[in-house]
Amino acid sequence: MITLVYGGSSSGKSEYAENLVCTTGYKNKYYLATMKHSDDAKDRIMRHRNLRQGKGFVTLEHDVDIVNAISEIDSIDSGDFSTNKADLDGEIVLLECMSNLVANEMFRDGEINSADDCVAKILSDVKELEESVSSLVIVTNNVFEDGISYDVGTKEYLRALGAINRKLAAVAEEVYEVVVGIGIKL
Amino acid sequence: MVLIVGGSYQGKTEYATSNFPNCRFFNQLHLFIKKRMDEGMGQEAILKEIHEAISEGDWVLIADELGNGVVPMDEKDNEWREVSGRILIELAKEAEEVHRVVLGIGQRIK
Repeated sequence: MITLVYGGSSSGKSEYAENLVCTTGYKNKYYLATMKHSDDAKDRIMRHRNLRQGKGFVTLEHDVDIVNAISEIDSIDSGDFSTNKADLDGEIVLLECMSNLVANEMFRDGEINSADDCVAKILSDVKELEESVSSLVIVTNNVFEDGISYDVGTKEYLRALGAINRKLAAVAEEVYEVVVGIGIKL
Repeated sequence: MVLIVGGSYQGKTEYATSNFPNCRFFNQLHLFIKKRMDEGMGQEAILKEIHEAISEGDWVLIADELGNGVVPMDEKDNEWREVSGRILIELAKEAEEVHRVVLGIGQRIK
């Protein structure tokens, strides 16, 4: 089962998605981080870590090939993180964020992969991941409303992310758009 | 306090004046935030000044949503977008009502 959380930059979508995951009551919660470590990203990663502190997430880091998270989950998942009997059996994964994953898959190992290849690859990875866990929450970004005409490379990226967002929205059970921290069900 | 957000030229002001005729308006809040940032103020200080400005009477705050685009090349623009977003999240938590205006159509989201 997929839940999609969509929103602009600094819209509060991360915190909203984390709270959503926490209210589902699954015993095992994983945070699948797709952001590459760089100086620019450091502050943002620290902010997100602080947000998740105390919420009982195990962090997995895969900036490409998110299917590798499956074997990692299998190796960790020897017991339940939560001892709360009321919690649901199984595992929930919070993937954050699709916009980073698309950039990392597209501009990979010094090569530029086409939008179509990226879309097909990522959707297949997501499907495999979804099938191996109880629930998957995906955070993705609205980067489509500034009206600026970008260079060819950026346009390809926007096309890929837009296509993935639409495909995920079509198969998701629930889609939320987050505006100033408030989730609107679409 | 009522918060109204939306993109540029979506009819936020008209929506605000017709739906909240007896309130005082703090319009273009995102530009106020930019001005204060240019003067060297940080997120907390700006939020505090906004709180002080609206401490008396019934206020409607109106701001553009800035975050729905590609990360700006200019670091200052990027920071403005982020600080503005964070301040709006805080104000939305405090607001009795939050409305979002798209194509002149307002939707109450809180």
